[in-house]
Amino acid sequence: MLRRLLLARLLDLAVVLASVSVIVFAMIRLIPGDAVAIMLGANTEVTPDKIAALRAQIGLDQPISVQYLGWISKVLHGDLGTSLWTGKPVLDEIVLHLWPTLQLTVLALVVGAGLAVPAGCVMARLRGGVADAAMRVATVAGLTIPSFWLGIVMILLLAMLAPSLQLLGYVPFWQDPLGCLSRLALPAFALGLPILANLSRLVRSAMLDALGQDYIRTARAKGVPERGIVYRHALRNALIPFVTSVGIMTGYLLGGAIVVEQVFAIPGLGRLILGAIAERNYPLLQATILLVTMGFVVVNFVVDLLYLAIDPRVRA
Amino acid sequence: MTAGRRLLWFALALVVAQVLVTVFAGVIAPYDPVGQDILARMKGPSAAHWLGTDQFGRDVLSRIIHGSRTSLLVSAAAVLAALVAGGTLGLVAAFYRGWTDRLVMRAMDVLFAFPVMLLAIGVVAVLGPRTETAAIAIAVVYTPIFARLLRGPALVVCESDYVTGARAAGAGDGRIIFLHVLPNLASVVLVQTSLLLSAAILVEASLSFLGLGTQPPTPSLGLMLADGRNFLMLAPWPAVFAGLAILLLAFGLNLLGDALRDTLDPRLRGQP
Amino acid sequence: MARISFRALLMAGALALAPVAVGSVAAQAQVLEVAVDASPVGLDPHRATAFSTFQIISGTIYEGLVAVDKDLRVKPGLAESWTVSPDGKTYTFKLRAGMTFHDGSKVEAADVVSTFNRVLSKDIASPLASRLAVLEKAEAADPLTLVLTLKEPSAPLLISAGTIAIVPRSMEAEKEALQRAPIGTGPFKFKEWQPNGFVLLEKNAAYWRSGAPKLDGVKFNIVPESATRQVGLSSGQYSMLPNIDAATALQVKGKPGVKLDETLELAYSFVGVNTSRPPFDNVKVRQAVNYALNRQEIIAAALFGAGVPGGPLSPALKDWALPVADFACYKHDPAKAQALLKEAGFTAPVAITINVLPRQDIRDMAQVVQAQLNKAGFKVELKNQELGQFIQDWRNSNFDMFASTNAGSPDPDDYFFRTFRTGGSTNVFKYSDTKLDGLLDSARAMQSQPERKKAYDEAQRILACDGPIMHVAYGQLFTGLRANVTGFEIIANRSLSSLGDVAVVK
Repeated sequence: MLRRLLLARLLDLAVVLASVSVIVFAMIRLIPGDAVAIMLGANTEVTPDKIAALRAQIGLDQPISVQYLGWISKVLHGDLGTSLWTGKPVLDEIVLHLWPTLQLTVLALVVGAGLAVPAGCVMARLRGGVADAAMRVATVAGLTIPSFWLGIVMILLLAMLAPSLQLLGYVPFWQDPLGCLSRLALPAFALGLPILANLSRLVRSAMLDALGQDYIRTARAKGVPERGIVYRHALRNALIPFVTSVGIMTGYLLGGAIVVEQVFAIPGLGRLILGAIAERNYPLLQATILLVTMGFVVVNFVVDLLYLAIDPRVRA
Repeated sequence: MTAGRRLLWFALALVVAQVLVTVFAGVIAPYDPVGQDILARMKGPSAAHWLGTDQFGRDVLSRIIHGSRTSLLVSAAAVLAALVAGGTLGLVAAFYRGWTDRLVMRAMDVLFAFPVMLLAIGVVAVLGPRTETAAIAIAVVYTPIFARLLRGPALVVCESDYVTGARAAGAGDGRIIFLHVLPNLASVVLVQTSLLLSAAILVEASLSFLGLGTQPPTPSLGLMLADGRNFLMLAPWPAVFAGLAILLLAFGLNLLGDALRDTLDPRLRGQP
Repeated sequence: MARISFRALLMAGALALAPVAVGSVAAQAQVLEVAVDASPVGLDPHRATAFSTFQIISGTIYEGLVAVDKDLRVKPGLAESWTVSPDGKTYTFKLRAGMTFHDGSKVEAADVVSTFNRVLSKDIASPLASRLAVLEKAEAADPLTLVLTLKEPSAPLLISAGTIAIVPRSMEAEKEALQRAPIGTGPFKFKEWQPNGFVLLEKNAAYWRSGAPKLDGVKFNIVPESATRQVGLSSGQYSMLPNIDAATALQVKGKPGVKLDETLELAYSFVGVNTSRPPFDNVKVRQAVNYALNRQEIIAAALFGAGVPGGPLSPALKDWALPVADFACYKHDPAKAQALLKEAGFTAPVAITINVLPRQDIRDMAQVVQAQLNKAGFKVELKNQELGQFIQDWRNSNFDMFASTNAGSPDPDDYFFRTFRTGGSTNVFKYSDTKLDGLLDSARAMQSQPERKKAYDEAQRILACDGPIMHVAYGQLFTGLRANVTGFEIIANRSLSSLGDVAVVK
């Protein structure tokens, strides 16, 4: 039963991935006007020869179906093409820019999830009408605060309050671990705040549920220290909605990272994507969107499986 | 009145006030949002300019009022379009079942597979950065959300005796969908529309901030933020207040959705 | 103690994992941390068009036969001396002995010859090719003697051809190699480029000028966010913000440990019009635009007061430029503008579109220009374009009017001839004036400075009010530095060639 379900999910995954590749492929062809001329736009001398050469290089001189099959078979063999301006393999550039984004998003997730547990526990203690409303207002505000604005405000505050602290820019973790973490702290907080708001509500409601359970009351009546039991039980309860929201959060983190990277000068995927648009580097853009989306789809797939593993009811 | 109720009214009042301000932007805004006064450039908040002036001496408050209008219009148009397109697809899928269902929902799965900002950026890259493009991008991104959202409850409603009865009485498909199925989904739609409007405000602001949405000199909150950050140390107010305005718009709508969900569907109480 | 050894362990691990990592070199190595706003677009000096590229490579990695000093006068570069034949058609350059390229090969006259061949080659399609149009042939008389023969005398040759970056002869047919791994003769050699991250240059120990460079390296950090650059300079994370505008300069001014260098810029901001289609084919409409513009107000708004109105030549070119008081149409007079429009047979408002270069100060300028023109009988729509689209429209003369900036050049011929001569290589305005053509042609062949000056004075008078470009302003250019950085000289053409003499005092 479980195996059949897994197989069906895998089939779905394959269909989605194939369709995603078609859409990404179609994007470049949907650009109004002559995409190639536009791509060459930033160069000074554009000759018909150059346009024809690039057209052949990208394969635009062939029928669409042939183009797609040629492209996808190359992609499946790990060849995503070369960047228009640097001539480097696109994959190299993507990998280079992937690390900073990965470090930023993981750190944001750690900040958000890590602070959510104590925050949720504190909020669970405050019950009753007014506290409830205040908690709700605070978390909704945390959820809707624009991360790039928060980033700008933090830079402003940094400049005013502690002008000698070197907390901006980016150094790879393996070069200077402390420097890397201290420089990613502000952007990770800006990016992680909505996650914190979201998760702390989950933790709070799970805690409240747990406190209402019969056996807790029993345990309490018996004089057993309640804290351990409550936490363990509540946190396990919170795990299911937590895992479900991880998929959604990955998408959010990625979108947020694109903007936050711009503010904090982090050379990640967001900068790569925006740069590719600005310089009309469509092969690079196409490959980046394809890879990132596939990563996103796979994360969601894994989340689905986890969900299956955690909550047996879903299998039915 | 319970605290939850009070919160709902508070959120509703906030949203209605914001909508009214933007509808009557031309009357309420104290200055022309694109009118320059170079001599009064980058002045801090004062009696004449409550929120100060920007690098061209334009009144920040007036620009925020008009910019909020752009934000709300883009978001509302986008979410409405997504609601109509996605809702129709979801209802059709639920009503006809079988192959139609499978085909429509797989297509929605594919669109849903893209991270929101990435798909929006892709759409803008294809169509070129403009106000309308930002709206289209957001609409495309939210269509599958509404389709998924409405299909589930619609399936249940379609199975009900109520609809079976209507069908037996000889009502046409369209009539059943619009008169019988749709009204039963109103609460879900209301809650989600409000929440997605809030999210759309943020996406629109992000796109404009990145230069992929509304273009100057048209006032736009994301753009004000992007422009203002170049003068952050000299005149922080345009950037700070524009960001606050984005927050306030998104906050009001999100709180409204949240409170609505509690009121309309007590089972979901407390869930994010 | 335990903590230190733990860090040392991490360092050792990092070095083992990433042998090219440079951030972890010994603390005494002096690497100047520079923050720039944009990524370079390739590092090939003959193919690049982006300013972000030139800022990093010219005078640092690459050098020409001659160099330009801070007063924009020619000084010896790779050539220690040169002579010009009496007819002005033969230039003989004497190269310094014992110079090497960064790849270790010797610098000889043959390298200069193949460099010029490379620039002229169709395959490379260098935008610098027009600078060598006057060249008949280039020959190496001996390894250290280069002879250039010209088709006709050319006064600006030294500056236009002499500053072209010299590359090894092995690169003559290489199209892509230099874009990613530049090889020059300059005080710094290329070490690493991390796209969107940084470009790292290291000391060229074999540099021909003794005592230079003083630094062990220069790291150009790419930091697009202005506020981030500013905070970085204030905190000491970055030691230099080169070539910043007034808005940025104002924001770091007076911060502890920060100093500012400034000079009047050679580059200028302007609006240009298409003289091949209405309404700007009519000279009266062009004059009207000049009267409609309030240059002081634009400077106040877009340049934060740090700049001066200028005519066709930068006031920084003291030997050439006429004072703006000489140009009648520079007087702000919207009523006169309206009258001129009426005379030209237009009824206000005259609808026009301005294409805007996507750069903050230009966008700002365009918004002020829009407001001013709207008050003088025009109805302006701004079109904020992406760079690629902007350049495409510019090249195809697909515009009514556009707002942009231009680098300017130390010699008037270089700028005037290609921009305003009928059929000039960057005359996208389709401007044609027989009298001006005659002046430019004859001035080119003149050898005497007063004679040339007279011709260019006349040209400036024609161009100021009737020409296709409404020159708006020459901005003040700034470089922000940490107080302990010495030896830097700001140059009006934005070159960072003085980095070879920069040191950081502890």
